[in-house]
Amino acid sequence: MRAIIIFLVSFLLMYVDFAFARFSPITVSNVEVYFVPRTLLMFILLLSIYTGYKTSILLAVVFGTMLDFYIGSVYGIHAFGMVAFVLFMHAAFRVFYKDFVAMAFVVLLLTLLYDIYIYLLYSILDLVDKPMFDYLALRAAPSLLLNALLFIVVFVIALKTSRVRKEVLSRH
Amino acid sequence: MNRLFNRNRMLIILFGIIILILLIGFSMTDRDSTTRAEQFTADAAAGSQMIINAPFDFVGSLFGTISRSFNAVEENETLRAQLEMLPQMQADIERLESENAELREALDVSSKQSYESINARLISRSHDQWLNSFTIDKGEADGLSQGMAVMTPEGLIGTVTRVNGGTSYVEMLTTSVSQNNLSVEILHDGSPVYGNVQKYDKERNLLVVENIKNRSGLASGDEVFTSGLVGNYPEGLLVGTVVEVENDEYGLSQNAYVQLVSNTDDIDMVFVIERSPESMED
Repeated sequence: MRAIIIFLVSFLLMYVDFAFARFSPITVSNVEVYFVPRTLLMFILLLSIYTGYKTSILLAVVFGTMLDFYIGSVYGIHAFGMVAFVLFMHAAFRVFYKDFVAMAFVVLLLTLLYDIYIYLLYSILDLVDKPMFDYLALRAAPSLLLNALLFIVVFVIALKTSRVRKEVLSRH
Repeated sequence: MNRLFNRNRMLIILFGIIILILLIGFSMTDRDSTTRAEQFTADAAAGSQMIINAPFDFVGSLFGTISRSFNAVEENETLRAQLEMLPQMQADIERLESENAELREALDVSSKQSYESINARLISRSHDQWLNSFTIDKGEADGLSQGMAVMTPEGLIGTVTRVNGGTSYVEMLTTSVSQNNLSVEILHDGSPVYGNVQKYDKERNLLVVENIKNRSGLASGDEVFTSGLVGNYPEGLLVGTVVEVENDEYGLSQNAYVQLVSNTDDIDMVFVIERSPESMED
């Protein structure tokens, strides 16, 4: 039951990410500002705490591959990135003190690093030629703000979906 | 190291990096076809997205219809005025077309300009907003194949780079990947001047056309079309208009900056252009 709900929610969040691509970038006084949500990544990272990192790795592989085949020009970038970042999350959480602020900080930091990772890979492959400063000011910073807002919603969703099993178990 | 990563996890990441490099190599090679596994995954993602999008689209179109109905009367009158001229224009076109065909037959040449178009709708834009690419709702089953030109009602917008069963992946002219081998002709005073698309200048939002012969006399406002000389593109698809012409760094040829006619931010309906097979022969 929980597996199905987690899968469906991940699907929905993937399309939330897609939906933002319809009205971003926003042009402010002749400068394009990008808002890139990472709700699916945040959800998968949060699940690695609440339901165990193996579920997260499975989700990361499935959705990473799907994203690569669906909208990627270069295969493997999302699939590898998501799995690696779930492992980073797992490693980081052993070091940090486990409270809400630390968790929000780690998740948001990882979403920022994930975008930088994709930026670096695309720059190496010569698919993107944005200067570093432009990238940080017009893309990384606004996206971080947007993700900080969305984090609250994703956090509530992750908490609700991870509790599904507890309710089912308590009936038995 | 033991505290952060144990040896197993280190190995998984190392293997992951190797697989990633292999996959990047695989996806950067020039391929003519898409594997079944890729097609299935992409079709599944597209199908479910269409289902999820359907209710939102319905609500959106409902509001669109209501807002459009306010100025329907004025629009109706201007359209009616245009419509009255239509039969005459239609007759002219038919007469010219048949005349053209007769002359062509007499000269025994086939036109590089003939093509068929397939209508398609955009399903989604790339969500990480790095690559200017999108997915459309027609695929192999509708007769699409790799390398076909994609147009908006205004002009050329991109190339089909991957064809799935019922969907296709299109890369726009604004990405560096899709401009390979795109040869264009610029019409100046009725005579064509040829050039190649070099890149898309992201800072100025203009397409850069290189290898234009010196003293061609190009001026801003000249229209740019596909030349039909390379690839699957028929001749005469409108690309854009020249904004600025300058000499290249060695002074051997000229570069032109071209403003695309199609709006790259707002795409909904597109036409996939299928070049007619007879025109490919010569």
